[in-house]
Amino acid sequence: MNESDAQFALEMQELREKFAIEAIEKIADLETAILVLENNPNDKEKINSLFGAMHSLKGSGGMFGYNKISEFTHDLETIYDYVRKDRIKINTELLDISLEAIDHLKFLLRMGDTLDTQSETKHQSKTAKVKEWAGKKLADAQIEHPIAEPVHKSEEPNTNQLSTSTYFISFKPHENIFDNGTKALYLIDELFALGEAFAIPHFENIPALEKINPQLCYTWWEIFLATDESQGTIADVFIFVEDESKIYIHKIADDNLLEYDAFAHYLKQLREANELADLKDLKKIIDALPVKEIPAIPEIAATVKIEHDLTEDEIIITPTTEPTVSGNIQAEAGKMKLPATAAETTIASIRVSSEKIDILMNLVSEMVTIQARLWMYAEKKNDLELIAISENVQKLSKQLRDNAFSISLIPISSILTRFQRLVRDLSATLGKKVKFVIEGQGTELDKTIIERITDPLLHIIRNSLDHGIESPELRKQIGKPEEGTILFRAYYSGSNIHIEVKDDGAGIDKNRILKKAIQNKLINEDDKLSEAQILNLIFAPGFSTAVQVSDVSGRGVGMDVVNKKISEIRGEVVIRSELGKGTSITIILPLTLSIIDGMQVMIGKTCYIIPTSAVHKIYSIKHIQIQKAFDNVIVIDGRQIPYIYLREQFNDHQAIPEKQEVLVVKYENREVGLIIDKVIGEFQTVLKPLGQHYKNQEFVSGGTILGDGSVALVLDTNKIISRFSKENKSKEENI
Amino acid sequence: MNENDENQINHYLTFKLGDETFASHVNNILKILEMQKITEVPKSPEFMKGVINLRGNVLPIIDARLKFGIKPMPYTDKTCILVLSIIIEKESVEVGAIVDAVMDVIEFQRDNIKPSPSLGSKYKSDFIDGVMKIDDKFIMVLNMDSVFSTNEIIDLKDTANIPENKNGLQNNDIEN
Repeated sequence: MNESDAQFALEMQELREKFAIEAIEKIADLETAILVLENNPNDKEKINSLFGAMHSLKGSGGMFGYNKISEFTHDLETIYDYVRKDRIKINTELLDISLEAIDHLKFLLRMGDTLDTQSETKHQSKTAKVKEWAGKKLADAQIEHPIAEPVHKSEEPNTNQLSTSTYFISFKPHENIFDNGTKALYLIDELFALGEAFAIPHFENIPALEKINPQLCYTWWEIFLATDESQGTIADVFIFVEDESKIYIHKIADDNLLEYDAFAHYLKQLREANELADLKDLKKIIDALPVKEIPAIPEIAATVKIEHDLTEDEIIITPTTEPTVSGNIQAEAGKMKLPATAAETTIASIRVSSEKIDILMNLVSEMVTIQARLWMYAEKKNDLELIAISENVQKLSKQLRDNAFSISLIPISSILTRFQRLVRDLSATLGKKVKFVIEGQGTELDKTIIERITDPLLHIIRNSLDHGIESPELRKQIGKPEEGTILFRAYYSGSNIHIEVKDDGAGIDKNRILKKAIQNKLINEDDKLSEAQILNLIFAPGFSTAVQVSDVSGRGVGMDVVNKKISEIRGEVVIRSELGKGTSITIILPLTLSIIDGMQVMIGKTCYIIPTSAVHKIYSIKHIQIQKAFDNVIVIDGRQIPYIYLREQFNDHQAIPEKQEVLVVKYENREVGLIIDKVIGEFQTVLKPLGQHYKNQEFVSGGTILGDGSVALVLDTNKIISRFSKENKSKEENI
Repeated sequence: MNENDENQINHYLTFKLGDETFASHVNNILKILEMQKITEVPKSPEFMKGVINLRGNVLPIIDARLKFGIKPMPYTDKTCILVLSIIIEKESVEVGAIVDAVMDVIEFQRDNIKPSPSLGSKYKSDFIDGVMKIDDKFIMVLNMDSVFSTNEIIDLKDTANIPENKNGLQNNDIEN
């Protein structure tokens, strides 16, 4: 590679950043796995995935200059290797150490390899702790092998570890492989380190000298490897290049073929002639050898010669069924198990930057809008064919939209680990016993929503732990089970998502809230409040009922911030509480931030959108009823409903129609009527922000593009009511 | 584009408001649209005309006449919307400005733009980058970033001979 050092450093930096992102995920996986193991110590699958995550963290850490992470993980991995082999039982002590180690890994990832003295001391002590524990436990476990034994030896414990097998490996690196700083020869060396190997390099792709681009890799290899290692271990050698290279690993015999002269001779011939290995010839030779047991060598069909031009981007490792080697080889690879390498998972899901998803979402939104326009035009022209086409486009764009939205949804389980950790650590600090129960962890939310509810939820859970759940002694006294329960539940309800945090703790003392609110001058002593109103007082800024301010919560910056954050994403918070029995706090959120089901309404000549979810009932009234109405209250169905006459508020002076309509919406548990001219119909809207210039018009949540290409404003009913009822009040006071 | 490249482009778009010609650096101008139906936003200052659909996004529209406190006039077929890209609080924001007519794109050396004659009001130097002199006529070069990021009416009457705004807006209209 003749890139300049600076260029190389830059690329290395990019790779390191990429590693850091992956490492964060890997560490999160570790944490999740450990928390699962705490409840279910015999979950073999989790132990294996834990081990796998450690292994890859160790490998890639060292590769990208995070040597400290690599070393540290090595010690952990050693412990878990023995856990995996049932030599060590999982217990709380081990999990505590593991969690501590994971915290340290996060720290190392942040700090990198160069630590200051203080951090270095910390690192040393953590390493020593893990090492010491490992040493002690492993001695207890009476292990036969020294700790230093390479742990990856038994990637696949079920396969015959001790017998040697011969593999045929075809490794065709992508020509840009050098860009990542990979040295293909190192990989070949690594294979040689696994056992006895014979490599046949192929140079036929190298162009004439004047055409050579020194930054590209033209060479590819065929390797025969006799090793004790499993196929998974061989595949691991290619773990960092498998995405961009064509790799084919195939077991050809359960014996070391390289020991046989005939075979070695054949290979030498191949190398001299620079020919491709021909499985047909191979089989003949192997058949002629006194090999122990020949696994199913490919069924020789008419065209067997392996064509090495695998289809673009294809990765084939351990073909259990027909490998698609350019479609013309029928190779049955025997009964080899697919090792759980990353290869499987890479194919199952891909990593996409959230930026790209945002762009996709914008394009889809635009498409939905354009489609509405097309449909309107088709209707107007009354052209049957055009209508048919537009209907098909509508169907497609709807599917496209649903798919695109589902891409940006992520399960809420992605943030649950943090909560589990919080409950575990905090309950220990507070000396409380708490069980954290999770329901509906597969519930999916828009990624932007997930990002924005994490902190509020952390706060709510913290509150539950600190103020809700009583100490074990007290709980025993009042006849509750010593262990408290916090239930975390996420579920869909209509076009909303509900996230509930419910504890069986002390509940909220309403009298104390009242006293505190009066003390803080939030309300007057003679104010009469409903139960819900009292509970809602805890959302008032600067309110905290904790008698004693602990370091956990109770600084009074809590619930009001929670409420604000949730309403920023058009959600609401509902509290229910029963003294002595517990508290439940539910966050109700829209499914996505950008699309809402709306009702298209007319006020004068202008079209507005009102979210359907806000509207409870629609009544038709005569305009004369409004003129007769007294004190802004209208009688509908025998009930008095205060109303807001939007026409008047929006200063619309168009001719007033005789009949108008009232949308009854809920506002702080009361019913309020919004009077508009006419409801046109339902309309699914893509919400677009109005931007900086209209930040004072907070009662407009945004704009949306109608079928005719014009913009309609989406109204926020809560804010309309709070703003205009205040304005009316102040007007009256002025009179 | 780095700072240097930007400085090397010396093209300005000139446009009319009333009898006066103004100029804006082309870097601020994304495109020019014909006048179209604008959706009003209730309870907003009068110079904020509303919003339009610009390729699927919502673009706020400001009437430059009203913004500068010039007497409103019915829109003609020459009236058009300049789609501007301006910086508000370090963020790039798009906004549309209604002007009476677009005149020309001219080349002018940045160094030849003279500072505007200082005249009292503290805002002026913020809103005006300077004055170009072309064929004995003076053209004010506006600083689009600051002109269209404030939420108030700008009084330019001291710096240019713009007819005084008699039935203009009261300040309390803007409070909304």
